[in-house]
Amino acid sequence: MYNIKARGVLIEGNKGYHDITRDITNPLLSKTTPSWWWVAAFIATSMLIWGVWGFYNTIAVGTGTWGLNNSVSWGWAIINFVWWIGIGHAGTAFSIFLLVLHQKWRTSINRAAEAMTIFAVMAAGMFPLIHMGRIWDGFYVFPYPNTRGPLWVNFNSPLFWDVTAISTYLTASFLFWYVGMMPDFASIRERTVSKIKKKIYGILSFGWLGSARGWLRFETAALLMGGLTAPLVVSVHSIVAMDFAAGIVPGWHSTIFPPFFVVGAIFSGFAMVLTMMIIVRKVYKYEEYVTQRHLDAIARVLTFVSLIMGVAYISEIFISWYSDSPYEMYVFFKNRAIGDYAFEFWAMITCNAIIPQLFWFKKIRTNITMVFIISIFINIGMWFERFVIVVTSLSKTWLPSTWHAYTPTVTEVAIYVGTLGFFVLGILLFLRFLPMMAVSELKGVLKETSLITENTNNHE
Amino acid sequence: MNNQSQILGVFDDPDVVTAAVKELLQNNVSVKDVFSPFPLEHVWEMLKMKTRIPYATFIYGALGTAGTFAFLYWTSVIDYPLTFGGKPHNSLSFAVLMFVLTILSGVIFTLATYLVREKMWPGKKVSMPDTRTMDDKFVIVIDRDKNMDDDAVRKIDALLKKSGAVEVNMSNV
Repeated sequence: MYNIKARGVLIEGNKGYHDITRDITNPLLSKTTPSWWWVAAFIATSMLIWGVWGFYNTIAVGTGTWGLNNSVSWGWAIINFVWWIGIGHAGTAFSIFLLVLHQKWRTSINRAAEAMTIFAVMAAGMFPLIHMGRIWDGFYVFPYPNTRGPLWVNFNSPLFWDVTAISTYLTASFLFWYVGMMPDFASIRERTVSKIKKKIYGILSFGWLGSARGWLRFETAALLMGGLTAPLVVSVHSIVAMDFAAGIVPGWHSTIFPPFFVVGAIFSGFAMVLTMMIIVRKVYKYEEYVTQRHLDAIARVLTFVSLIMGVAYISEIFISWYSDSPYEMYVFFKNRAIGDYAFEFWAMITCNAIIPQLFWFKKIRTNITMVFIISIFINIGMWFERFVIVVTSLSKTWLPSTWHAYTPTVTEVAIYVGTLGFFVLGILLFLRFLPMMAVSELKGVLKETSLITENTNNHE
Repeated sequence: MNNQSQILGVFDDPDVVTAAVKELLQNNVSVKDVFSPFPLEHVWEMLKMKTRIPYATFIYGALGTAGTFAFLYWTSVIDYPLTFGGKPHNSLSFAVLMFVLTILSGVIFTLATYLVREKMWPGKKVSMPDTRTMDDKFVIVIDRDKNMDDDAVRKIDALLKKSGAVEVNMSNV
């Protein structure tokens, strides 16, 4: 069995069970909303409103308002879609992979990571929806008995797999997230003095009791749901990768894509978790729950994943040379490395494969400001990766007479900023109204991980 | 005290409560339930609690696989066979959708089974033996049946206190 003490003390400050309940539920039971929350919510809402304008513009006028052209038929929409889906992998990767691996340090972070998943996947879902142009015909993607034959959708197309996989992923992640919150809702139900809150959290708690049999069934059901959802992390992004890999565009038609995309998704998801948790621990003063050791553990995972990303980039370049295909060689050695989008290509390499290697140094891993900055670099780098894949390949395909550069329009930027606003607003509402850490799970690890004294630093 | 129906031993440590359950069982006191703020795995073993939810999940998953294949076969081979890129109608790539929908079916029906078995629904009214089990206390519930005289109750009370209970209460729940 894995040594659960390897990470040292997970909850600092000599806390008791009551302290945990108090610390985590106080922000949502408090009557006053902090002023920084209002400021952040105002900014996020403004971004969202701009995004709604972009959405409206696209639907009223059409996708002609985007910078797409005959050659680059997929622009920011698919870039941002893949970027958001990647971020959306964090929750499940965090909660479930680490649950299966008995990594107890997940407990302070999994709830927030799952919330991030929900909002990121919802943000991602907006892009294919709006890319349809005639959004009111969106229901055509579902296989339902119709009067056109009935003509069914193409069940062998990665695009339809995408629809199924992502809706399944969203449903399963949401249910897993919600089930995990039921015991905490019950804690809030019993703790609050406000009648309205008691009523609302009482409804949300489904009548949770916390009896021995209840816990047994709860743990079993949660483990089964988690275990079933875990393979989805691999399948969802593999299917997204197949949207590309099944096409014959140079730079896309590669068997490395599915694993490469899955690893990239976990990479960007973990980076976003790091960005968010550093902010949350700061503003809510949760340094005792999200300790230096938690951030250190995430940084170590990122270092390793960054190495995989680097190997993937190098093997793509190597294979393009080894294949002896002039088209593949053109994509990597000319179009990407020194072409019109060389900046984006080198930004991708630097942010994803080189900068995270700074985490090898303990000085940098323990410097929160540096960790925060590097996590932002990874988020940006992963965005550039999708840009490089989509735009460089599409702008110069087989027929040079169709070659065309691509620049996004204001509408595209507005939609992207809008989804960012939607995501931030969602997270803010989550922080204000839902238990942002799994209270019952924190209590569960309190005793077994605080038995060791602070100075047994045996994880070094 | 005679018309009370449950004895509640309140504890404030998971290991002490686990040891207390063991002690009670060794003294032939039947423990009805243990309420706790987080799961106590050893208590399940001692109370010989088991759940059959994993078997149910397996069946839901298997039905999901079979159901998806049946649907895909019916739509693509029987109802409206249409050739895509020269691939056979009964295609190997059905595996992708079968895989995804197996998971969906497993997750949704496992949750449904859990809620049905636990008789939980939104807004269910509950009365807990001690609401502090939602915070920092652990409560052992022992049923007081009719043929338990005051002596037996006193014995249980002493046993609970000896095992480290911080309080022993009677309840009418």
